[in-house]
Amino acid sequence: MRKLGHQKHYYLMLLPGMVWLVMFSIVPMFGILMAFQNYNPGAGLLQSQWVGLENFKYMFQLNDSKTVIVNTFIIAVGKIVLNLLIPLIFAILLNEIRSLRYKKLVQTVVYLPHFLSWVILSTIVIGIFGYYGVVNTVAGMFGFDPKLFMADSGIFRQLLIGTDVWKEFGYNSIIYLAALTGINLNLYEAAAIDGANRWQLIRHVTLPALTTTVVLLGVLSLGNVLNAGFDQVYNLYNPLVYSTGDILDTWVYRLGLQNLQYSLATAAGLFKSVISFVLIFISYRLAYRYADYTVF
Amino acid sequence: MSNNQYTRYLKDKYNINVIVDWTAATGNDFKQKVSLTIASGKLPDGMVVDDRSFMTKAASSGLLYDITDLFQQYQSSQVKDIMASTDGRALENASYKGKMVSIPNITVDTDGVHVLWIRKDWLDKLQLPVPKTVADIEKTAKAFMDSKLGGNKTIGIAGPSKNTYPYSTFLVSSNNMGGFDPIFGAMDAYPGYWLDNGDGSVTYGTTTDTTKKTLALLADWYKKGLIDPEVGTRDNVGDPINANQTGIFFGPWWNGGYGNGDSFKNDPTANWQAYPVYTDDSKWNAHMKTTGSTYTVISKNAKPDVVKAILIMNNALVRDEATFDLSVSVGWYPLRNVLAAANETEYEYAELLKVLKGETKPEDYNKPNSLYKLMYADAKKVQSVIKPPYEELNVGNFNTSNFGDFQRLYSILIGDRPFTTIPIDKKVFSVTYNQTPTMETKWANLKKMEDETVLKIILGQAPIDSFDKFVKDWKAQGGDEITAEVAGLLKK
Repeated sequence: MRKLGHQKHYYLMLLPGMVWLVMFSIVPMFGILMAFQNYNPGAGLLQSQWVGLENFKYMFQLNDSKTVIVNTFIIAVGKIVLNLLIPLIFAILLNEIRSLRYKKLVQTVVYLPHFLSWVILSTIVIGIFGYYGVVNTVAGMFGFDPKLFMADSGIFRQLLIGTDVWKEFGYNSIIYLAALTGINLNLYEAAAIDGANRWQLIRHVTLPALTTTVVLLGVLSLGNVLNAGFDQVYNLYNPLVYSTGDILDTWVYRLGLQNLQYSLATAAGLFKSVISFVLIFISYRLAYRYADYTVF
Repeated sequence: MSNNQYTRYLKDKYNINVIVDWTAATGNDFKQKVSLTIASGKLPDGMVVDDRSFMTKAASSGLLYDITDLFQQYQSSQVKDIMASTDGRALENASYKGKMVSIPNITVDTDGVHVLWIRKDWLDKLQLPVPKTVADIEKTAKAFMDSKLGGNKTIGIAGPSKNTYPYSTFLVSSNNMGGFDPIFGAMDAYPGYWLDNGDGSVTYGTTTDTTKKTLALLADWYKKGLIDPEVGTRDNVGDPINANQTGIFFGPWWNGGYGNGDSFKNDPTANWQAYPVYTDDSKWNAHMKTTGSTYTVISKNAKPDVVKAILIMNNALVRDEATFDLSVSVGWYPLRNVLAAANETEYEYAELLKVLKGETKPEDYNKPNSLYKLMYADAKKVQSVIKPPYEELNVGNFNTSNFGDFQRLYSILIGDRPFTTIPIDKKVFSVTYNQTPTMETKWANLKKMEDETVLKIILGQAPIDSFDKFVKDWKAQGGDEITAEVAGLLKK
């Protein structure tokens, strides 16, 4: 108790965060009850009719649910893998550049898209991949017929993943660049004396030093597997690409906010949360085992 | 927003003090906010919703005030006249289970009748007649494209964007810029509407053979490159129209004028004219809209005085809106609800021509509390905006120096001309413009199937025969059940 008194200013600093957490994260959790009800806004959460697992049963009867779950997984896994690898490669290549000025310039330029929202970027992406966009113009010079990429369900997922990587790779590479500066320069010197060329330096010194970081980031992103990016998909998709582009989040949005099926949407959202929870649990275990990382 | 000319006016004249709880940008932001407010069950005293399903959801959840008696008591004679101009359809639209639970919005009937908008100056350049039928439109679009009148990227016919629809539906029955509604009408197809078969049964318009035929036609046009290649994926249907890349699109009366203002700015000779599209045997078929699409809902928990204040606000706005300074966006007027007589544009079209021809004087329309609330203001302006000769109005007859006035008068005198001067041979109403109980759970799924199938067929991504599978699936996944419910509505 004396210890508590001694540290009271720390607890005081903790207070605003705790209040925030309770208000915006704990209290809204009661909304989950809706998933087991036929929710009626007039009656409220406590008086609405209870229907047990009805909403979940109906959800899995819909063909849509399978489509969106599959899409969510494919898009999210694609993004996670490429968002790990591309920044890694980029960071290593950037690290090899000797001109500090040029390095800084490149780094700044590739950061930029991270700070723009998908509302703005979607217009640019649609412009680039549109019928008269840059891609089709260039392809046209080589004799290809123009193609409407935004309406092609066959490549929509690749487009989502590709544009997301383009937006984020610069920003994601920061952590690798930080890790790179932490490598002991003596190691490079020693290897060079042993006759290692540049490629061998990367392979035997740089990469092993980065392994822990890659594993840690990879494992932690497991918990994000079901977040395939609402903003991006919502701003880019259209009915022509529902079959490959519709994800859990956009589906919940259409059900709940546009079609007022609050209970069904909550059930779908809860389903997503439960899976995410399990994945986060697993990823923390793995992070501890392979990267010796724990939050608590 | 709680302090502007409208709120000050309410305070001065009626001692009504408006407190604004929240505002949101129009479109999806607004819908989202309304949807969440209803979900929370805690409505503000008054709120405007822009989708009937919001109103019925709130009403069926018991959140709304029954204003049946108070409305009767407090509506002004002007509001009463406007309500009467719809033959009771507005009252029905604003009611739930026989009780009036919202103040309806009434817009002109023309908002639901879509016409062909075409560049008359391009037709003249190529010495082509005004296209009348679907086959004529195909030829004209091809001619426009071959002559590259809109530059290298000339588009034959503009089409819906990712936020608009290939055709209006019973739930969103009006104002569909860039949709193909007139083409469907000319093929005697009414997709998205519930059709009365006359024998007690109903059919959903999208599942009919005529719809299938029209889709095959549109797919053929798309394949031939006559329809905007980016149809369905564009951000905004207005882009190619305003950039003067296209000479043909479809939409209601205000789409030329208000809707494509930048087109005139970019090319002052853009002589957009409006015409109906006819069937091969020269009939004009048009689908008709419901009376209005927004509703002022009042919370069940509002105090009676507050309810009265909201009704008085509605009366006051209808009477005096024309006197406010139009440079202040009307979006800032709290609880603004449009009430216009269903035939306002037709009336104005006829009377404004009389003013132009000197048969009447603007002063003749100086009637306070008139059913046609903007008539006097328009009559005073019309002569300074439109130059003679008045027999055949072209863009050259209009003075664009006050662009707002130009847009309004262009829309009325050019856009509304077909509706006012040419009788419609077949007016098609949907059996219902509302959701039935089963729709509340199953419609989202069916609509998604429909949107996907229709667009895929038009863009050639699915064969026309996939339509048959769609109809079968549609019926099996709840369509039949819903059709029976809609048929049940006929008996009442």
